[in-house]
Amino acid sequence: MLTFDRAELPAEAETLRAEVREFLKSNSARLPRPNSDFTTGHDPAFSAQLGARGWIGMTWPLEYGGRGRSFFERYVVTEELLAAGAPVSAHWIADRQSGPLLLRYGSEQQKAAYLPGITRGESYFSIGMSEPNTGSDLASVRTTAYRMGDGYLVNGTKLWSTDAHRNHYMVALVRTEPASDNRHAGLSQVLIDLKNDGAQVRPIRNMAGGEDFNEIVFTDVLIPEDRVVGNPGNGWEQVTSELSYERSGPERFLSAYRVFVEFIKAVGKNPLPHQSAAIGRITAHLATLRRMSISVAGMLEEGKTPAVEAALVKELGNNFEKLLPEIARLALSGSPPSEGFRQAMTDTLLLSPSFTLRGGTREILRGVIARGLGLR
Amino acid sequence: MNDTTNLIAESAEKMFSDLVNKAVLDKAEEGVFADEIWRAICANGFDQLGVTGSGTGLADLFHVLVVAGKHALPLPLAEACLVNRWLGSNEVFGSIGCVEASQIVDVPWGRQASVIIGIAPEGLVRNKGKNARAGVNLAGEARDSVELDAQESVACIDDPFALLTLSRVCLMAGAMQTVLDLTLRFAQEREQFGRPISKFQVIQHQLAVIAAEFAASLKAADAAVEALGTDRFITDLAIAKARIGEAVGVVNELAHQIHGAMGYTHEHQLHHFTRRLWAWREEYGDEIYWQTRLGAIVVEQGGDGAWDYLATSR
Repeated sequence: MLTFDRAELPAEAETLRAEVREFLKSNSARLPRPNSDFTTGHDPAFSAQLGARGWIGMTWPLEYGGRGRSFFERYVVTEELLAAGAPVSAHWIADRQSGPLLLRYGSEQQKAAYLPGITRGESYFSIGMSEPNTGSDLASVRTTAYRMGDGYLVNGTKLWSTDAHRNHYMVALVRTEPASDNRHAGLSQVLIDLKNDGAQVRPIRNMAGGEDFNEIVFTDVLIPEDRVVGNPGNGWEQVTSELSYERSGPERFLSAYRVFVEFIKAVGKNPLPHQSAAIGRITAHLATLRRMSISVAGMLEEGKTPAVEAALVKELGNNFEKLLPEIARLALSGSPPSEGFRQAMTDTLLLSPSFTLRGGTREILRGVIARGLGLR
Repeated sequence: MNDTTNLIAESAEKMFSDLVNKAVLDKAEEGVFADEIWRAICANGFDQLGVTGSGTGLADLFHVLVVAGKHALPLPLAEACLVNRWLGSNEVFGSIGCVEASQIVDVPWGRQASVIIGIAPEGLVRNKGKNARAGVNLAGEARDSVELDAQESVACIDDPFALLTLSRVCLMAGAMQTVLDLTLRFAQEREQFGRPISKFQVIQHQLAVIAAEFAASLKAADAAVEALGTDRFITDLAIAKARIGEAVGVVNELAHQIHGAMGYTHEHQLHHFTRRLWAWREEYGDEIYWQTRLGAIVVEQGGDGAWDYLATSR
């Protein structure tokens, strides 16, 4: 569990890396944004281009628009996009999380209906987990979807759903049966059509000034019964497996990468000794995290479920994303910062509180690791 | 690791867990050379790891060093094997230190050695292992010094300083594993407020942090061993020594905090491992030394080129 096996990126992944870089060069007008954060930069035209290249849902089967490629190849595409500061948030959740969920638990009809649009970079998903009174304690969700005729009647409120005001669908965790002694029972995941079902979506301004996350209110929203993903009542198992997918990717340690780039540029070719050391310190963390993340991609490729390993990458990676700007700013103390550095720094610092909150807080992750160590 | 390397590491695990214990470690710290263990090492050919013609390579030596670190083996296995590798001999107990002015310093068990090799910027020098002055590092490990004598130079295709650095990297990865294991066990056995302290969330979180730092350290060490013989070796070595050195501070702090006063006693075995971690992170370049070397390599690539260098590391 604490051993991350060696995994080498195969030759085809390196070929693909060159193709991604060519593509990024041809899109240089869009790049770079001042941060590498996967939740900012909603750009449907860019996502559609990625889809046309076959770089969204790329590990999925051909019949659903996927390309049957390896997790290593997906890893390379994602890290190249993030390092370049590309605008990826429109398709990110659908590609990383909602698509794989549908692939694993969805009905044949759902897969055929939703997956091809995702792979084209045209269909975007949001996460529907948190609620006003449900954060880390996910099993406490109160949004209900009770049977009503041929469908389900949804009532309640979802919170912090990134880009729900821009995206097309949400996978929402809801109660399909009243709460009982077994708090993990009676939960289900349902697909919500954010544009047409009648949910009220209200963007919430964040402290960085952006409007990315939302409150979504359901008042007697009727959805057809074929919107349930997997078996009704199986929601807890599904949502926990969904969370483990999302924890080990390069977005968990590259969010602050643009600060590093601007930092290296700012010190120039003749850095002071402490500036070299700062760059080396950041590199040592980054290179090690990257190897761990690639190792997890290798485990996924072998069909394993590395939930604890993924939690370890996220724990270390999120801490590093917060450490990087701190190291860089003090190493540059006393020299006038470049405009590029100032902007990357401002962006990243203002976004940084979210790094250790989203996708499971630091505290939840340490609990996952502790369970893996046999302490719970 | 291939099958042979695994077998070698497994038999090292068996040998060291049979022979190394608290009493042996205490004796070594009092200045008693662990002769019985050294003879067992030689009898099993473990003094020949990485020596041409032995059927083993450098990678085998470094995998065994992780096991040695795990048991706090009170002998300089890396030094002994590398001397045999460089001199092509096997009748000696040799050790290695760094040349400083007119001395070779920080030589593990130099007082016991029949030959001592000194690492200098311009190459290796060979000294007779006589009249070494006894000294210790903060872990109580023998670190002796000798005056340079005839200064016979030794030809060597390796980067000696780098290989010795890698030895400390591997030893640290192993010792850190034991610190984690001891701390996990203690937290599950020690009861306060009517339950094992491992049931308290704050303790669980601290153990999770130790585990994460160890996992990163082990990965960094393994990557450096994997890079042996490639043009990325120095980069991966710098990454490993810098990363693990940083982990040591975190891991030792939390491990001792969780162990409470018990772990602060001489009677407890924890300090044999935590003190070695503190000592080894200083030897052959501390974090700043390797961070600076690594930083210089990255600076060469420039801000836009750094990613390519990092991403195509292998």
